[in-house]
Amino acid sequence: MNQYQIDGKLKTVLLGMMGLGLLCLILTFAYDDALHTRFWSNYLHNAVFFTGIGFVSLFVMAAFTTAWAGWYTVVKRVFEAYSLFLIPGLILMLVVIVGMWGGLHHLYHWADDKAVAADPILQGKSSFLNKNWYTFGTLIIMGIWIFFANKLRTLSVEEDMSGTPDYNHHKRMRIWAAAFLPIGGFTSAAIVWQWVMSVDAHWYSTLYAWYATVSWFVSALALIILTIAYLKSKGYLEEVTVEHLHDLGKYLFAFSVFWAYLWFSQYMLIWYANIGEETVYFRERIDNYPVLFYGNLLLNFVLPFLILMRNDTKRKYGTLIFVSLVVLFGHWFDFFQMIKPGVLHTAHEALAHGAEEGAHHGHASAPIGFLIPGLLEIGTMLGFLGGFLYFVLNRLSKAALVPKNDPYLEESLHHHT
Amino acid sequence: MFESANIHHTMANQSKEVLYGLYDDEQVLLQAVHKAKADHLDIMDVYTPFPVHGLDEAMGLSESRLHQVGFIFGAIGALTAFLFMTWVFTRDWPIIFGGKPYWSIPAFIPITFELTVLFSAIGMVVAYYTVCGLAPGVTNPTLDDRITDDKFCLAFQTNGASQQEIDKLKSFLSASGAEEINAKII
Repeated sequence: MNQYQIDGKLKTVLLGMMGLGLLCLILTFAYDDALHTRFWSNYLHNAVFFTGIGFVSLFVMAAFTTAWAGWYTVVKRVFEAYSLFLIPGLILMLVVIVGMWGGLHHLYHWADDKAVAADPILQGKSSFLNKNWYTFGTLIIMGIWIFFANKLRTLSVEEDMSGTPDYNHHKRMRIWAAAFLPIGGFTSAAIVWQWVMSVDAHWYSTLYAWYATVSWFVSALALIILTIAYLKSKGYLEEVTVEHLHDLGKYLFAFSVFWAYLWFSQYMLIWYANIGEETVYFRERIDNYPVLFYGNLLLNFVLPFLILMRNDTKRKYGTLIFVSLVVLFGHWFDFFQMIKPGVLHTAHEALAHGAEEGAHHGHASAPIGFLIPGLLEIGTMLGFLGGFLYFVLNRLSKAALVPKNDPYLEESLHHHT
Repeated sequence: MFESANIHHTMANQSKEVLYGLYDDEQVLLQAVHKAKADHLDIMDVYTPFPVHGLDEAMGLSESRLHQVGFIFGAIGALTAFLFMTWVFTRDWPIIFGGKPYWSIPAFIPITFELTVLFSAIGMVVAYYTVCGLAPGVTNPTLDDRITDDKFCLAFQTNGASQQEIDKLKSFLSASGAEEINAKII
């Protein structure tokens, strides 16, 4: 079974998840404050989370290709399919951009002209944090990403059809992959600053881009492991053995530790220096988001660290799937607490302005949906997840599951950790 | 019970009579080890110049417990560092650094991490050398110098074996593809 087909039952489930997500988005919109803060922040949260998973899959694939990695060839098509999610990801982000130009949301404090006029700090940052940069930065950078994702995918599929013994396709892929690494590395940082870090418009951290990208990385690995486990349970990917899962598990373990390292590095430097402009970020989260703040470390570091430390837990479906689910939701919570406090602060200020002008009062400080994720947030997440998987599995069914002319296929088939 | 313990005791002190075969290729060696196990031959040891994938399973070796040693030493290291700093900064010599509380957990984390790694690494090295009987001044006789270069060796101990049993081992070694068959007392 080298050709994947989405079965009807799964299709129904995924469409059901998308329907649930849409319903949740509509309900959130209907029962929201005047600025629809909860709706827009949920939308941004999920759009950023899943687009980032697509980006990281592309980046990791480029890194593996450049490093001459042989082990992952049998699961390469899953990475490829994931990287193609950048195309719908661009559409998701376009909605945020349109909303920004149309004044439909108050996600970003710096996009509010009145606020910037009265704020020297935002004025100082306005050469980067402005609507043009956000729009064209997103379009150009994501355009480049999509170009590379398509390039690598096209070459890989062509190799299946007309691969030659001199591995011409693979050599070209290696050049494109190597070219993408510095481009992807730098542009992803700029994207993280624009999309995520700038919701706390006054605050910045030089470590933030790494920290957010690694959060994406771990989520992508977790979701890839779950996808592979699902495909294997359906009888596909027979070539993938426990050895490949073991290596994916090692990546999950290693990058959970790396994430904790970055999280702590950012926290400790800010805690040590104790400068008010910087500590405000953690003060807000420790005071108002204690469950997420400490839960973040428990779900994304302590649990994967202790569970995946052993050799055998990385080789068993039960533990690997359990940890993948924990860190997938864990990093989704991580992005929740990256985005919500800043957006909430911006909305409070905007609503206060509105109150002065006699407009309606909001209730943006209600805890559910703002301080901790509520059922609507979970439903929205499942909706986006359903859409993500639907697209990705659809892409997966468009090519053979095992790239038969890849020069590293033999190595991957005999992989032994 | 008494007898087996006694044999073990004499074996440890007495010099070993070893019959060994040298192979040119690790795959041939691996086949030979599989065959020896299938024939219920008692392998003394296998020597290779580099790690051979699948050899551990072929020889039926149980999984190393070195990583458990590493975890225990790491935990000891973490506790040592954390409790020591706690004692120093709250009981023995409390000093305020940068307006922080005496018991400042984030500041303790880097040192705790470092001592965890240090204890774990040193503990594993010491445990490994102890279990392998390696220590400064200990000499370990080698069967053949070429097993550190390009030869793969399968060795049987022949203390007290009859000539018939030795002949059987010899024919096994030659049948399984050994390039040379030698006997040596170490």
